[in-house]
Amino acid sequence: MTERSTLSAMWARVQTWEGFLVCALIFIVLMNTALSPQFMTLSNQINLFQLSIEKIIVALVMTFVIINAEIDLSVGSMMGLAACAFGFLFQQGVNPVLVIPIVLLIGAAGGALNGYFISKVGLPSLVVTLATLIGFRGLARVLVEDRGITDFPDWFDRLGQQGLVGPIPLAIIAFFVLFAILYVVLQRSGFGRKTYVIGTNRDVAAFAGIDTARHKMILFIASGTVSAFAGLLYAARVGAVRGDVALGFELDIITMVLLGGVSIFGGSGTLLGTLLAILIVLNLRNGMALLNITGHIQTGVIGILLIASVLLPRVNLGGFLGTRKQGEAGS
Amino acid sequence: MKRLKTSCAAAALAAASMTVVAIPASAQTMLDAGQEVDMVLLPKFLGILVFDQAHEGAQEAHAELGNPGELLFVGPTPENSVAGQIEIMTTSATQGQGAVMLSNNAGDQIVPSAQAAQDAGTRVVTWDSPIPSGDGEDVFVAQVDFGSIGVVMADMAHSILDGSGQMAVLSATPDAANQNAWIAAMEEALEMPKYADIELVDIVYGDDQAEVSYNRALALVDQYPDLGLIMSPTTVGIQASSKAMQDEGLCEQVRVSGLGLPAEMVSYTLNGCAPEFALWDFRDLGYLTYYTAYGLATGQLSGEIGESFTAGRMGEYTIEEDPGRPGTRRILMGPFTVYNADNVEAAAQ
Repeated sequence: MTERSTLSAMWARVQTWEGFLVCALIFIVLMNTALSPQFMTLSNQINLFQLSIEKIIVALVMTFVIINAEIDLSVGSMMGLAACAFGFLFQQGVNPVLVIPIVLLIGAAGGALNGYFISKVGLPSLVVTLATLIGFRGLARVLVEDRGITDFPDWFDRLGQQGLVGPIPLAIIAFFVLFAILYVVLQRSGFGRKTYVIGTNRDVAAFAGIDTARHKMILFIASGTVSAFAGLLYAARVGAVRGDVALGFELDIITMVLLGGVSIFGGSGTLLGTLLAILIVLNLRNGMALLNITGHIQTGVIGILLIASVLLPRVNLGGFLGTRKQGEAGS
Repeated sequence: MKRLKTSCAAAALAAASMTVVAIPASAQTMLDAGQEVDMVLLPKFLGILVFDQAHEGAQEAHAELGNPGELLFVGPTPENSVAGQIEIMTTSATQGQGAVMLSNNAGDQIVPSAQAAQDAGTRVVTWDSPIPSGDGEDVFVAQVDFGSIGVVMADMAHSILDGSGQMAVLSATPDAANQNAWIAAMEEALEMPKYADIELVDIVYGDDQAEVSYNRALALVDQYPDLGLIMSPTTVGIQASSKAMQDEGLCEQVRVSGLGLPAEMVSYTLNGCAPEFALWDFRDLGYLTYYTAYGLATGQLSGEIGESFTAGRMGEYTIEEDPGRPGTRRILMGPFTVYNADNVEAAAQ
């Protein structure tokens, strides 16, 4: 009975949060449309997604990882490593058609490495993925040194830069297909339910007979593989790689997921929330860019939005004060 | 006016005789002022003094040409430089800007967005730092000839050391492409008999961080007791080295030279720690870049090799093939300004 009421209260809160995100999104889109004549053009809408496409694809998987009460800080470095490995192997003369599966395997292996130390050895994911954040990046830099690698095959660059279905490029299609699949997995399958249960309380989940280690292993392998895929998309989109590809992307990815209402402590959040947060950040960035607001001001505005939206719903002012009073009374 | 035109024609003729490509009759152009075109000045990132100076130069040219359009100065933050430059390039194409003036920090990663901008009718003029492959770039406005910088540094060493002595180089990061090219050019220049008595004892790196550079400079002095000069081809390194020598009271023994900003170096030049240093003028670079981009965006210049035009107060310039990047086009600003006690105060204003 109490569990049921907690769940329904949680559900109500999540719904309110998503409702708020929808309102914010509508407001931003209306503002953009009113202030910039170019905003609602098809080419701009495609650019809006394309400019951040690698981050938002990884954000979908990051949603699973954070709901599972873990974190993967190594995604940006894995994107960089994947892009550099592609460039390196291509330069060594390996057939690019063959390089793509090899790079995806590197992603899976990197994810498995994270997964091993987290689920089998039992180290905190914050520590493990911080180490691989540095390690993967170092490997990427070793592979390409301080050179840019470019002149990829035409078909590869075209996949990243031109429309696949009409004007819509491969990466945008991949994003929405992945969203649809992951939505079903997270919100409609046993695997999704386990993700929430483990995230809420790992010990209880283990006690209930869920193989939590295996579950986390799967999530980190998925995170590594999708990051490697995103790294390949990046290489195709910009047609060149360098050791600093995707540097610092992990923070943008994690903030999008948190803005979407996913709790950093695990156990709650939805993929729809992440999608709404992605759309908000992308539209806000694009609108400001069209109004020539860039650089530090843009960073500042998005920062303020994130502070307001990530922190405010989590600081229950009444509850907070109540706890404080209790603490004072105790001492 | 007429005299100017005649001299322009003469210069164009001289340029024409040096280039292999046939020169069209309209090779020499006086840019027609007052045409409306919106343009974007896109630095590597915001918050760097030299880029602000380039902006001032561009504003000066913008006012002089009476362009009723808008000159925008937008850039990314340092930690978001590559993605930010790509985003601004893409947005500029969407907005239908006449030209983007880019100091490229994204390597060849900028190429697809720059090409898309060109396809949308936006001219792409690079300055300070070009697109390595030259793809997606109309023309590069080069601050100096990267080869000539070596001779300038060797000459400053020669004059400060009075012809003989030991010197060491304190550079930026070990993999900084421009600094490495400049040091290589200086080593080549030092082979000449004029510099036979100057010994280059070491090359160290301060990573373009003030504190690291400061400590490296002091370490050099400890390591080489007969050291007479620290040559630092980076604005961060030269300032940190000068401060280190001044703080330790070593300015009589070890002088500092290299590439520095007058505003940051004025006190060290006047007190003798850094008697001579060089740099190109970023205001001029911004000014020349604006004229180039204006000419291209208004259709008055086509961007072909051999084409000449008058860039206001700076005079005549010709588009030529970039010797460092075969198949690409550049406009060479040059030369250096060498600063000493006589002119540093005026430049520091």
